[in-house]
Amino acid sequence: MSTIASPAVTIAPERARRGQHKISFSWMVWPAVAFVVLMMVFPLVYAAWISLQDASLGTEPRFVGLDNYLNLASDPEFLNAFGVTWLLYGVALTMQLVLGTWLGIVLNGVKTARHLVRTIAITPFMMPPVVVGMLAIVILDPSVGIVNWLLGTVGVGPLLWLASPRWVLLSVALVDTWQWAPFVGLIVLGGLQSLPASVFEAAEVDGVIGWRRFVYVTLPLLGPTLLTAAVLRSVDLLRFFDLVFIATRGGPGNASTTMNMYAYQQGFEFSRFGHASAAMLTLSLVVLCTVMVFARLRRALSY
Amino acid sequence: MAPTAPRRILGCLQVAAMLVAVLAPLAWMVLSSFKVSRDVMALPPRLIFTPTLDNYRELFLRTDFLHNTWNSLVVAAGATLLGLALGAPAAFAISWHRITWPATLTLFARMAPGTLFLLPWFILFSQVDLVGTYTVLILTHGAITVPVALWTLLPYFDALPRALIESAQMDGCRPHAILMRIALPLVAPGLVVAAILCFVFTWNYFLFALALSGFDTKTAIVASFNFIGEGVTNWGALMAAATMIALPPLVLALLVQRQLVSGLSSGAVKG
Repeated sequence: MSTIASPAVTIAPERARRGQHKISFSWMVWPAVAFVVLMMVFPLVYAAWISLQDASLGTEPRFVGLDNYLNLASDPEFLNAFGVTWLLYGVALTMQLVLGTWLGIVLNGVKTARHLVRTIAITPFMMPPVVVGMLAIVILDPSVGIVNWLLGTVGVGPLLWLASPRWVLLSVALVDTWQWAPFVGLIVLGGLQSLPASVFEAAEVDGVIGWRRFVYVTLPLLGPTLLTAAVLRSVDLLRFFDLVFIATRGGPGNASTTMNMYAYQQGFEFSRFGHASAAMLTLSLVVLCTVMVFARLRRALSY
Repeated sequence: MAPTAPRRILGCLQVAAMLVAVLAPLAWMVLSSFKVSRDVMALPPRLIFTPTLDNYRELFLRTDFLHNTWNSLVVAAGATLLGLALGAPAAFAISWHRITWPATLTLFARMAPGTLFLLPWFILFSQVDLVGTYTVLILTHGAITVPVALWTLLPYFDALPRALIESAQMDGCRPHAILMRIALPLVAPGLVVAAILCFVFTWNYFLFALALSGFDTKTAIVASFNFIGEGVTNWGALMAAATMIALPPLVLALLVQRQLVSGLSSGAVKG
């Protein structure tokens, strides 16, 4: 990620001078660039074009300018999806960063069976989302799920989890956190290991240990690392789709209909192509802006 | 300074808590796949039971799951090859000439939601009658594998000693020969990591296959998803399917565990 922020590297003058008899490899980027332009940039532009039209199944497309975007702003379903997306984003990102930081510190302290422990930490996020969704359905089932039974033995519940409009977002956030907190944990682990040991030794000499060391030394030094993790998770969380599509279908009602889910339903279930494209482009813009904000924060934080 | 005994116990407890939280759901999945349906839903859970292969038998004999798995394999392998074929030369050139824009372009294109590409793809590929073919599935998953291969390989090419390539140039080696005979063999470990990541991400991704696969090219992920949609009440079979499709990515992840962990610290590895 840091590569986005780094300015284009200028070619040293002496290398340019020596370069006359050299052959260039730059043509080697063209097949990949051509592929990305044809398969991704062109569809993006095409979707932008559709978003300016009143295009639905069976009707002649009609140019309507920004009408689709204006309609989005007054569509209560879209506004609901907008709110759901940000609420889920806030809850899940917070849980994943907090748990991830804890996991990173725990993993950093593991001395025995280090590789085994790290391998286990990798497993959740290498699993197909469909499998995670299936597991969530089975484990969180209100009547015969194991989680409610376990809670029942300590006198809690039964909770409706994915079936309750009130708890569905928290349930989805919890499942996503199970899958992705270890990912954040491994990033934090990498960050911790790149920190100079001398800082921690100095802190110890000064008597800064335990919680105070964590708050005043470790956390500030981890800032850039946590931001990297936050950016990576943000891109996925704002586009949240797989898990709700598989496990809740956006429901109950529209309680877990994220922006991406809304756009998918509008496009592929109601065939409102123009409207759906406008929603998807709005979402892309939201993702882009968020990443930009983080990139700026990261620049401000690096020393 | 050695940590005191209570601190060590606390540390062990934390590690144990993490391992249980990660592994318990997976263990539940695998155990359920070997239970008869009556035992799957039994509460309190039956930890001691007579294991059965019925669920797997049902999955492979009564449904097209074997064929679906084959489809997943073809699409994932094809998209991996596509990703490496396009991504590796690009990564080499980007690393050598320090041109950042193509890498940034792929990254920004990847930020758009997958649903955004689906509609134009569907319209365009319908017109050439390709929807439902392996070709279209491999091409569309290239949207994942090309950026992944490119970004995974960049640090490996960056680490190549420049003098090596320069001397090959002096000797009059042609560019493609330098790439094929010198650069690629030297980044072989990177190629393995990139290939595994491409394969796993394609195998796991289900939106493109959901919308663009046909009856004959349906992947294992899409088939399993349909099991949920059909309201399959045989949870044992459902968990057998989940176990089967989770297995390949987990085994592959095991193989590159070390590189994955070090790659994550630079934020380079991400689907």
